[in-house]
Amino acid sequence: MHALTIRLQDEMFALEATHVREILDPVPITRVPNAGSFVGGLINVRGSVVPLADLRVSFGMDRPPQDADTRIVVMEISLDGEPMVAGILADKVYDVTDIEAASIEDAPKVGMRWPAEYVRGIGRRDDDFVIIPDMQQIFGARTNLAAENG
Amino acid sequence: MGKTILMVDDSASVRQMVGMTLKQAGYTVVEACDGREALQKATASRVDAVITDLNMPGMDGLSFIRQYRATPASNGVPIVFLTTESDEGLKAQAKQAGATGWMVKPFKPDQLLAVMRKVAGA
Amino acid sequence: MSELDPADVFRQEANELIETLEQALLDLEKRPDDRELVGLAFRALHTLKGSGAMFGFTAVSEFIHEFETAFDRVRKGEAAADRRLIAAALEARDHVAHLIEDPDCDPKRGEAILAALKVAVSGEAAPAATSAPNAPAAGIDATSQAQPAGAGWHVRFRLPADALTLGTNPLLLLDELRGLGPCEVVALAGEVPTLDRIEPQQCYLAWDVTLRADVAKDAVDDVFLFVRDDMELSIEPLAADAADVPGAPAALPAMAESPKPAAPAPAAEPQTAQRPAAKAAAGGTERGAGAKVERNATLRVPAERLDELMDRVGELVIAQARLSQLAETIHDASLINVAEEIERLTASLRDTTMGTRMVPIGSLFGRFRRLVHDLSEDLGKPISFVTEGEDTELDKTVIEQLADPLVHLIRNSVDHGLENPDRRAEAGKPATGTLRLSASHRGAEVAIAVSDDGAGLNAERIRRRAEEAGLLAAGQAISEGELNRMIFQPGFSTAAQVTALSGRGVGMDVVKKTIDGLRGSIDVDTLPGKGTTVTLRLPLTLAIIDGLLVRVGDDRYTIPLAAVEECLELPTGVDKDARGRSFLNLRGELVPFLKLRGLFQTEGEPDPYQKVVVVSSDSMRVGLVVDQIIGNNQTVIKQLSRLHSGLKTFSGATILGDGTVALILDVMHLVGFGQKLEERRRAETLGRAA
Repeated sequence: MHALTIRLQDEMFALEATHVREILDPVPITRVPNAGSFVGGLINVRGSVVPLADLRVSFGMDRPPQDADTRIVVMEISLDGEPMVAGILADKVYDVTDIEAASIEDAPKVGMRWPAEYVRGIGRRDDDFVIIPDMQQIFGARTNLAAENG
Repeated sequence: MGKTILMVDDSASVRQMVGMTLKQAGYTVVEACDGREALQKATASRVDAVITDLNMPGMDGLSFIRQYRATPASNGVPIVFLTTESDEGLKAQAKQAGATGWMVKPFKPDQLLAVMRKVAGA
Repeated sequence: MSELDPADVFRQEANELIETLEQALLDLEKRPDDRELVGLAFRALHTLKGSGAMFGFTAVSEFIHEFETAFDRVRKGEAAADRRLIAAALEARDHVAHLIEDPDCDPKRGEAILAALKVAVSGEAAPAATSAPNAPAAGIDATSQAQPAGAGWHVRFRLPADALTLGTNPLLLLDELRGLGPCEVVALAGEVPTLDRIEPQQCYLAWDVTLRADVAKDAVDDVFLFVRDDMELSIEPLAADAADVPGAPAALPAMAESPKPAAPAPAAEPQTAQRPAAKAAAGGTERGAGAKVERNATLRVPAERLDELMDRVGELVIAQARLSQLAETIHDASLINVAEEIERLTASLRDTTMGTRMVPIGSLFGRFRRLVHDLSEDLGKPISFVTEGEDTELDKTVIEQLADPLVHLIRNSVDHGLENPDRRAEAGKPATGTLRLSASHRGAEVAIAVSDDGAGLNAERIRRRAEEAGLLAAGQAISEGELNRMIFQPGFSTAAQVTALSGRGVGMDVVKKTIDGLRGSIDVDTLPGKGTTVTLRLPLTLAIIDGLLVRVGDDRYTIPLAAVEECLELPTGVDKDARGRSFLNLRGELVPFLKLRGLFQTEGEPDPYQKVVVVSSDSMRVGLVVDQIIGNNQTVIKQLSRLHSGLKTFSGATILGDGTVALILDVMHLVGFGQKLEERRRAETLGRAA
């Protein structure tokens, strides 16, 4: 797997590199009231309005304010089988690397701090574990969609 | 620079067919889709000949010919009108209005060119 | 622009003409004596025939020729445009459309249709006298005489006096004769007057041409085709060389060549074509005058190009906003000037571009007349179809998407709403049902209503059906409006018997889906025994709107300016109403207001002087309380992603001059949301009091 590795809090995540469009320095984020904290913001990416997702919400992590390392990864997501573009907040972006398929293991059903349905697998990089998130599951989850309030 | 022909017809397909034929033969073609537009274009700058349909919405061909002939700009400019049948009554009216010649639709490109050579020259 | 295939151009044009024909026929059914309509239908046929033949659609052309011949009886007033004739003509129209798609289809069908049409116009078959649609081009008289096999022709001709003015060029005629063979040309100048009486634009010369070529007389005759009727012309075989042609003086000084054509005088007096009406046919009717339908010069542009243009303008608007902002910051007078100029130009470019995308909804309404006509015939329900507000303009993409939903609504009204004549008679209603299709602007929305004066919706049956279909729990309390809207749920159908037209349980949910997709809403009003009105409300979903930019806390929002009625300061103390009401006294009228800070859970302290933006949606007015009113801005609407599509309070987002994103408030839904909050709070207050 060709992966872009990022850091969310103290965990390393691997995003499918072929789906990544660009990596941005922090930009002004427009709050979307009542949208929930997972996609609570919008950003301007070269004239397009793009939703900004915070995976830390899905993984129940703390959400400290942005710092010098914060980046936004703009990538293509498949939602209900249709592609869309979304920004992903990252506490830090490392690099693009290959994660050997052989090293990827299924997420353990028990004993993991993270919701198992959001993890596609655990990869290994040097001595570290890398979480491969299941973007389709995360973005498709009803709780993560802005609820209807009309 | 070839002669300039003003082509007046509300049918885009006829305009295109006539336009293509005339352009290939070296004429410059100006198009109008009804009498009003034709009158404006024919009086705005000199044309060497006019081909006009008679049956058009807005200003029809006969009114156009009459009004055009009433302007000095039309002096010596041949006007060929298009008609679907060889209706003598209509032909007489059009000639009365000041038309120079006519063509019966449908016509083939070479027939069109023959008529244009006849009234406007090559 | 690339050259299109002429046959494609013809097809496209033919479709429009067929449409015109159909509309004229349908109108004619209502107003059988309207000569203009007859003229319009006739002209459409005529043009179709002419261009059809020219582009090789011979079958079409021949069929239309017969169609036209039959219809000509209507034009001449010999046959009445009654229902039977219109029905036959409509069938013929369908066949024309069919022939254009498939020119090789079975001719039998066409013959049957024509036969029916002929019966309809005359009661008996019209004589097929005129069955030669393809008359030869450049009409040639059948004056084929025996060809004298001779060495050539002696041609003498004199043009009418006004020939030069009217564009006949004798040089070209002479050239044409020369084209037939070697010629000796002698100009006859006997009639040329003295200089003081000469009219420079008149043609005084005559010509004597000896053509030494073995050509048919017709060929020579054809040279003079256009002038033959009014000129002096003699064509004699060379063998029988006649020295004396009447009017042509013999033996004249031989002035070979160049009869001087009068140069067009720049200051020539206006020339009205008057000549002895030797052959002017008195009985000629003025053709073409019948169809006085105004049409402006139009240009065909592929729709995608308009979309592209709109995108570019959108980008330009955003760039312009950035420029304006920059000019403000730098505070340079000349830069501000330029920025303002650009702003003005951009705004007008935007309006023009959007204008090109606006299409009157009448173009869509027109399509349904045939549908109603056919439904009426099929179901045996006489219907008067009334349309209103045809010139209401909507973005073309919206109009395109409305076609399907409206078809379903109309079918439903005719099928289930309108009763058959017997039932109507029992109910004391006129036998002819009325179906009304109307469109109107209401603030920032367009309302499109389909209403009938039929039986109305049967609430009991809807409830039963909804419960059967599992859409509603048995006995579940539900408002009347919500119950009526059940008919738009997937899988819902109350038709006792399934007809071919509707009642298959599909269709009405398409309406809801499409209208939802356009961010619109559906209202159903029904009165048992009186009829049903379904109203579709659509935002004027244009790509760019004028907006009012406001600030709530640290966030900025845009409100569509078209919905804004007025702005005022929130009177102090008004929000501390002891009875918990949030009403504003606006010149004696109580207007509820919503605090956007509360709605949006805005943090921080509100500004000391709160502002109210009063907006209206469908006669409901609501005040939106904000911290600051920033000002007007051009708002390029960007759709929200599917992640946010559940948020009905926002109709989209836009990009501001400084590059940040601002949400656009959806006034219609905000009003609804506010109403609910209001009701909930009232209920809570009541609950506490109890």
